[in-house]
Amino acid sequence: MAFNLTRRKFLKAASLAAASVPLSKVVSADTGVSKAPLVAKGTHGDKTVVGGVCEMCFWRCQLVGKVRDGRLMKLEGNPKSIDNGTAICARGNAGVKLLYDVDRLKYPMKNVGKRGAPKWKRISWQEALDECGERLNGVVNTYGAHGISVFPHGASAKYPMHYFERTVGTHNVSEASFFQCRGIRDTAYVASTGMPPGEKVDMPNTKVLFLIGGHLGENIHVSHIKQYVQGLQNGMKLVVADPRFSASAAKADIWVQIKPGTDTAYMLAIMNYLVQNNKYDKDFIENYTDGFDEFAKAISEWSLEKAAKECDIPAEQIKEVAELLAANAPNVAIHPGRHVSWYGNDFQRQRALACLTAVLGAYFVKGGWVPPKGPKGIKGISWKKHDHGHKFDLNYNQEEDEKVYSNNPPGTPTELIRDCAISGKPYPIKGCVIWGQNPMQTIPGQEKMKKVLEQMDFVMCVDVMPTDITMWADILLPEASYLERYDYIKKGTQWDLSKPHQQYIAPRMPLVDPMFERKDQVYITNELAKRMGHGDEIPVNSLEEMTEKSLAGAGLSIAQIKKEGGIHIQPGKDPYKMPEDFEVLLFNEDLTDAGHPGAPTYKPVEEVPKGFARLLYGRAPVHTFNRSQNNVWLNNAMPDNPVWVNEKVAGRLGLIDGDTVGFVNSEGVKSRTTTTVKVTPGIREDCVYMYHGYGSANPALSTGHGTGVDDTSLITKLAIDPESGCSGMRNNFVKLIKDDKVLDIPA
Amino acid sequence: MQYGMIIDLERCVGCHACTIACKAEWEVPVVNARNWVKRLGPTMTADGMTATYYPGLCNHCAKPTCVPECPADEVEMTFKDAKSGKTKTMKVAATWKDPFDGTVQVDKERCLGCGACADACPYGARYVNPDLADDNSEGKVDKCTYCKPRVEAGLDPACVQTCIAGARIFGDLDDPNSEVSKYVKKGAKGLEAKGGHLGPNSRYYGKKRDINLLFADYTPELADLGSARRRAMMASMVKPAMNKARNMGLLGLAGAMLVKGMQEEDK
Repeated sequence: MAFNLTRRKFLKAASLAAASVPLSKVVSADTGVSKAPLVAKGTHGDKTVVGGVCEMCFWRCQLVGKVRDGRLMKLEGNPKSIDNGTAICARGNAGVKLLYDVDRLKYPMKNVGKRGAPKWKRISWQEALDECGERLNGVVNTYGAHGISVFPHGASAKYPMHYFERTVGTHNVSEASFFQCRGIRDTAYVASTGMPPGEKVDMPNTKVLFLIGGHLGENIHVSHIKQYVQGLQNGMKLVVADPRFSASAAKADIWVQIKPGTDTAYMLAIMNYLVQNNKYDKDFIENYTDGFDEFAKAISEWSLEKAAKECDIPAEQIKEVAELLAANAPNVAIHPGRHVSWYGNDFQRQRALACLTAVLGAYFVKGGWVPPKGPKGIKGISWKKHDHGHKFDLNYNQEEDEKVYSNNPPGTPTELIRDCAISGKPYPIKGCVIWGQNPMQTIPGQEKMKKVLEQMDFVMCVDVMPTDITMWADILLPEASYLERYDYIKKGTQWDLSKPHQQYIAPRMPLVDPMFERKDQVYITNELAKRMGHGDEIPVNSLEEMTEKSLAGAGLSIAQIKKEGGIHIQPGKDPYKMPEDFEVLLFNEDLTDAGHPGAPTYKPVEEVPKGFARLLYGRAPVHTFNRSQNNVWLNNAMPDNPVWVNEKVAGRLGLIDGDTVGFVNSEGVKSRTTTTVKVTPGIREDCVYMYHGYGSANPALSTGHGTGVDDTSLITKLAIDPESGCSGMRNNFVKLIKDDKVLDIPA
Repeated sequence: MQYGMIIDLERCVGCHACTIACKAEWEVPVVNARNWVKRLGPTMTADGMTATYYPGLCNHCAKPTCVPECPADEVEMTFKDAKSGKTKTMKVAATWKDPFDGTVQVDKERCLGCGACADACPYGARYVNPDLADDNSEGKVDKCTYCKPRVEAGLDPACVQTCIAGARIFGDLDDPNSEVSKYVKKGAKGLEAKGGHLGPNSRYYGKKRDINLLFADYTPELADLGSARRRAMMASMVKPAMNKARNMGLLGLAGAMLVKGMQEEDK
């Protein structure tokens, strides 16, 4: 029997009967619950379990667990780690509250209500897998493998994604981490330097760090922050271009309060200034770049004055930054960014960052862009690749025999999949597999996503938590979390490249056993494969076997790693050496062949309509996208996402700090919920800002449901980056609503 | 010896790792906190646009205002210096300042949960934990201990261990060679209450504009000790009655029936 009585109610009643009643005795007599000691023991005496690799975000810090009587009490950084060390962030620390979240998915469930308004019935794994297998087979048999679309995210989604992509054979895979995040960065750098850039800037050893929109401090990845803070301590100058006085701007030497969407113009002016004034790295340009002359010509129109006007910043400040970079080149860090799917003109901005790095000669040098040399040998174990041709590849123009989006990241651009699903052209997409992604709060255009889902024959979701998308599942499967399974092998180097070179290998190993009926991705995928006629291609039978086989490639084993405290460390290599074949394409002819500009080019974005403000969003330090909304500790740390409004605008609207407001966007879409106003001079007048990842629509989240505003719900106007096919999400405009009155934003 | 903590705002990025680690380490209720991070600004100051953080915790003051307000019966307690082995016996109520390490601690077994000490603290560093209610109280006061049990086991405080920016430095302020003392020499200072002489030992270091904003926004007023004392007096008046009631089994039985009745009602 549950002790279903609030303390206040009890005291109120008890005080009528007696001055004081021995509560503990009453409770224990009635329920058998014994009272915890008054003094919390602390976890330092608890059993330490090694092998954790965090996935509260995707940086993957190495953990140890403190376990008491089989219960995970606390997570800590693994003291052996040469990456995060003993440090983990708020989210990492709050992993225990994900593990034991009362709202977590526990059993396979069947939706006996409607998609979007589910009624859940608990079913057995046997029944769930049979139904998934049967209905996916139904889609494949009727429409072909390409009739299945897949929306994966996170380490656990890789194995099933490969199954559907390689074995079943659908191209229709849309990873949010690419198409709504960093894919543009990666393909733009590949088109410039031949490799994706990661965030591999040597911050501890740089003289200048240049951030375009990067808000380190609100955007938290532990070893990255360690590098950043070390850089600041070592005296690096910090330049931050952001319409908002971000966490990084607050630590900056120069804050460039740039007009949203104009970053490329800003960088073109810096580069043009450096070229015109002979302040570029001539040796580097001569030896390691191609197309300098065309590039120089293409950007020559970008005078300081022209950019100053376009970007709404002083020409003198652009010059100051250009001079600062030139004076400290090549030891300058031009940060490639991470979430870069902003305006639909983003490929060009990422190209500009890659080219600016080249103009300053800041590749493979101390303090520049330097890829650390990590350990080799870890084998990828997954489903065998097959060539499925281009016939059903939506990103392939059959008539022209070329790609639709020439520089797409792996998978198929999201809107190609969604448009195809809704129109049924060129073919129907009737099956949907969603694994760890929440497309409802990740992909802009929620109503469009609903249309996609409504027309499906079958939708299945696999996740650890209910999310806004799980409401749309026909079958919902509960997954073991990152703390309960073997998985991803994290590898890398010591975080400060100026320190003795070391490499590490840290496989994810379970800290506790899964509870209820949660299963991991290898079990689920293999069972689906058996039911879909692909049982003979199953590559491994368990995650443990996968981990063992992967480690074997590096001459390691799980037993060995455990003996070494969860992390294998070996000598590393000096990364500061330019590869002989390294080349930066300042002008890329493949791009011109595909109909795009060969040199980085500024494409203006839509101006803010009268009466509106541009909606900007970013990271909260205690949340990972929309994934951590329901975590009680994190929710308590930042329970909503106040909207930043410029103090002059607020003054004219009569808004004060803490006022409650809702939103309506320029397409008439209203926010489902409200949030509070943060009045500050630290944002431009033409935009408002809020943290992303709040306001879940799923009532199954007892903490996260309806807290704060879901910014994605207001992003209905879609912009597509022409080179990559990725989403641009900052071209939406809003008005505030207070007391049911819509407030025009004064110009 | 006087333990102290430095918060280096040049390093701090406001990530809240410290507050969540503390919650996990000491099983602090979700809505309560032994430490906190508040975001300040962005706001325009005399030093230009400024934004920083207030990572707060118990200041383990030189002259704590909380300790004298405790109405619990005093008992003799013998303290031992971990280093020299020296001992000292003092009469203390349910909260005291340790004569050897300078930390301010609470004896939860004897705490009445009246909250007088919490009222007396100008920093809001104490709270009454309702999860710890027992026969004598509606809860027990809880606060930062500078992780005394961890420190005695040779570890860093949980917040220091997890700090991703190396912004929290713990050590002996009486040792001129300690890291914390070096920070004090560089200008790290505590948030002394207006007109007070508490001598806070959690101290802040940072850029001038950030420190100015922190001190402008979060220099506290001294607490109204009148209200703290009224609360303490009430608690000490109820105390004998509580002790009496504890021995009256019959009342307990009545209470048990009541609980059962109310649970039925809730169904």
